[in-house]
Amino acid sequence: MSAVDIDLRLVRKVYHKGRMNITVLDGLDLSIEGGDFAVIMGPSGSGKSTLLHLVGGLDSPTSGSVRVGDAHLERMSERELTAWRSRHVGFIFQMYHLVPVLTAAQNVELPLLLFRMSSAERRKRVETALEIVGLKDRMDHRPNQLSGGQEQRVAIARAIVTDPDVIVADEPTGDLDAKTSTEILQLLSLLNSEFRKSIIMVTHDPRAAGFGKRLLHLDKGVLERDERHTHPVQPVAV
Amino acid sequence: MALPLKYHTRYLLVHRATTLLTVLVVAVVVGTFTWMSGFAAALGETLSVAGDPQKMVVVRRGSESEFNSALSMEDFNRLRQLEEIARDPETGEQLLSGEMLVQLQLPRRSDGGKTLANVAVRGLREVGAKVHRDVKIAGRFPGAGQREVIVGAAAARQFVGLEVGKSIALGYGGDRAFQIVGIFTAEGGPLESEIWGNVDTLMNAYNRNGYSSANLLFSTSVDAKALAARLEGPQIQLSGFTESEYWQKQAANIRVYLGFAYALVAFMFAAAVFAIANTMYATVAGRTREIAMLRTIGFRPPHILAGFLLESVLLCLLGGILGCLLCQAWLSMGGAMKDMYGATTFSTLAFVIRLTPMTVLFALLSVCIIGVLGAIFPARRAARIEVVTALRQT
Amino acid sequence: MTMGYVLLQNLRRNPLRTALTATAFALPMAVFVIAISIVLNLAIMSQDLAKQLRAAVHHRVSFTNFLPEGMRSRIQALDQGKNRLTAVCGMRWFGGRVPGAQNIVQSLAADHDTFPIVYPDVAMSEHEIAEWNRERRACVVGKLIAEQYGWKVGSQFSLQSSIPPYQELEFVCVKIVELSSRQSVMYFRRDYLENSLEALGAGPGGCNVFWIRARDAESLLALQRDIDAAFANSPDETKTEDENAFIAGFIQAAGNIPGLMQMLAVVVVVILGLVGGNTMMMSLRERMAELAVFKAIGFHSLRVFRLVLTESVILAIGGAAAGVIPVWALLNLIPLSVPGRGPSMPLTASWQGAAGSLFIAALIGFAAGLWPAYQAMRLKTVNALRNIGE
Repeated sequence: MSAVDIDLRLVRKVYHKGRMNITVLDGLDLSIEGGDFAVIMGPSGSGKSTLLHLVGGLDSPTSGSVRVGDAHLERMSERELTAWRSRHVGFIFQMYHLVPVLTAAQNVELPLLLFRMSSAERRKRVETALEIVGLKDRMDHRPNQLSGGQEQRVAIARAIVTDPDVIVADEPTGDLDAKTSTEILQLLSLLNSEFRKSIIMVTHDPRAAGFGKRLLHLDKGVLERDERHTHPVQPVAV
Repeated sequence: MALPLKYHTRYLLVHRATTLLTVLVVAVVVGTFTWMSGFAAALGETLSVAGDPQKMVVVRRGSESEFNSALSMEDFNRLRQLEEIARDPETGEQLLSGEMLVQLQLPRRSDGGKTLANVAVRGLREVGAKVHRDVKIAGRFPGAGQREVIVGAAAARQFVGLEVGKSIALGYGGDRAFQIVGIFTAEGGPLESEIWGNVDTLMNAYNRNGYSSANLLFSTSVDAKALAARLEGPQIQLSGFTESEYWQKQAANIRVYLGFAYALVAFMFAAAVFAIANTMYATVAGRTREIAMLRTIGFRPPHILAGFLLESVLLCLLGGILGCLLCQAWLSMGGAMKDMYGATTFSTLAFVIRLTPMTVLFALLSVCIIGVLGAIFPARRAARIEVVTALRQT
Repeated sequence: MTMGYVLLQNLRRNPLRTALTATAFALPMAVFVIAISIVLNLAIMSQDLAKQLRAAVHHRVSFTNFLPEGMRSRIQALDQGKNRLTAVCGMRWFGGRVPGAQNIVQSLAADHDTFPIVYPDVAMSEHEIAEWNRERRACVVGKLIAEQYGWKVGSQFSLQSSIPPYQELEFVCVKIVELSSRQSVMYFRRDYLENSLEALGAGPGGCNVFWIRARDAESLLALQRDIDAAFANSPDETKTEDENAFIAGFIQAAGNIPGLMQMLAVVVVVILGLVGGNTMMMSLRERMAELAVFKAIGFHSLRVFRLVLTESVILAIGGAAAGVIPVWALLNLIPLSVPGRGPSMPLTASWQGAAGSLFIAALIGFAAGLWPAYQAMRLKTVNALRNIGE
């Protein structure tokens, strides 16, 4: 599967809070090429998470268009968006959000339950995903038996098990120490370089930002800066 | 330095849905329980009223109820010889009342007259009103030779057609109209479920020539046991029960019934305890960090423990009050009328279930017990929360 | 792994809560299965009795007023051709007591010639009928009474009447009756009773009730009407009620146990609904973020709805089973009988009662899960992640 482009045109997002209208994104234009690793930074309330949610198909814009590959997300219904997400996006969250009562392998298998797939096929995919994140030997552990870094790796495995086009990561290292953060970021870089996954990551951490190929600064709903790293931190094979 | 009450009431408001659901569980359980205790209390009250210590019910030996008893005139005349029987201080009249009991089927008001109840009809003379000292008659006592009856207040309330001025059909053939000329009360006792007429008129109407039983008052100097023994004795060969003995025996089956019902309600009580525990565990779990904060600013484990117990009791009291209101609403909607057969008669004992202050107090007290029982383990867990671990936890 | 597995694992998330909720379900359900069994047994009994096409003719004033013996032939005369009426069986209350014992054995003297015809459901074999006709002291005894006093077929015992003239009679048991509506009653021959009354100068005794049996339901209605009309304005004015109506009066006077049971059943359902709803709400509140993730990775809202709802139903059935099955097993091992006058209410739990209880529990779980499931379905992924994410 070839990497897909992401294209946002004149995207506005307005939230209603009581009687107040809060404009989070104000006419944003942004294109991200397939296979890119874009890092979004900005202060709290700058709209970076909202941008991430729009690209991930979790939210719809108030106006403007969000296209990911052939999919025009702004035209899709809730139902269509849900179905689209299951095939095309992988999510990684700051708090991992694993199901505590399921093992690592079962957590990774969860999204595959939405596909018509034999259990053998699922098993193979789960093993591959866990192998990529380097946790094949921990597949029968439950989240509370894993360290924070390992939990996040399981979450990454869950994000890639469906072989999505885009990986959306919201502060994936926000809750991890420096060493573990580096490992996670290297893993993301690897997914980007080796598996040609487009990655969009929101972070507060400038060091984490160094792993991206492109750095976007958002403030008050508009794009402030857009830089391209010529020498991003190179992934190390895990 | 206990936690202020407001702290807890505010939390009950914050988790409105959970509070409401838990309060309702308690309310329903307590409502049911209150109804039962109201029932038991009403029954107990009715029967305890029928406990004139000087009164004795005399029936044929082997018989346990006035309905199944028959006294011949010889039996009755032998009774007359007893010097133990008290006399009216004014007239000197012997306080011995020969009585006849029959039954009448009347429709119940409580189910709109769908089912019939067997109501006792007692024939006696005016001396009977002196023997049954508790009885107060509004109207006049049925005159000798007159086809007249007076009805007990409980019967009048619970069965159709018992109003002053109306007539009821009595007699062996049910073909003699007796006019209702009065209502009587018996301080809420079982006699209030009866209909009274003149014994001679009724005997005539039922083709009888003997009494069913006799009721008497004995002098204060006489020992009830000794008198009962004398009645059993070789000369007389009858059975005498003090009034309270007689009615307690009648209520035996009702007590079994209530026991069965209470056992079932006990299960639900236990369930309420588990429901409270469930809610309180969730409350404690959701407030772990906050409890840790309270600990850091100086509250000690006993404060925390007491605080959560108090919160649970508050929750339960709310449910208890609502439960009593539910029960009262049910009673006002017509669930208050109840009548049951005695253990050895086929005639019904009618009573009205009322919420007395005691019943309500009892209900609220038991609710506090539910609250404490349900909260004790969660509150202990809260009190044992380790400050450092909890604050580090997310 | 399947969704079913995920569901079951979810119940392990907070084992304490699952255990508390299950217990809070089990206890009232134990009450429910008892209540529903009683109501169900009575319903089955009254259905069976309705098929028996019997009616009681008793005195209008009270069934404690005796009707003359001759009334039997006068009732029979109303339908000479026996087109509607099958048979008439006169009965008189004896209410005997085993000498020295406290409790009264519900015993009735019945016309021996017509008893097996009016009561085919008592299921007397030809041999038993022959014994019944041959032995004047013969009696058929309900199973519960027989068990209480240890009587068997062939046992001889005596009872003393609890009504005048309190005579003591000796009986020979020819059959133990298994029929559920006749387990706590005993029948014996009325000619035997009448002889004893005459010997004491107390005869003729008369009957409390004449039981009639009709050929079909229409005839039964017609007969009730005709009989009451025939004796209207006589000293023996009658009231004829079909068997279920006759029994209903007793059930009311025995404290209306079915009514009480129905009330308890409703109370149980309400409690369970509240408990189940509460648990699911609490469980949902703690799991908002996780459910949001389910949605993010592509679980459709309806799937999330089903997930929460199914969990609620599983919890309800599981908890209920913990209450229903032990009680059901217990009642099958040790059959109890509900106290009360009139017909006995054997407290046997049928599998229908148990299955019905579980079904009701499932419905409650469903209802209790609806609102939380709806909330989970409506959950805005973005909001939920924002609230709990950081």
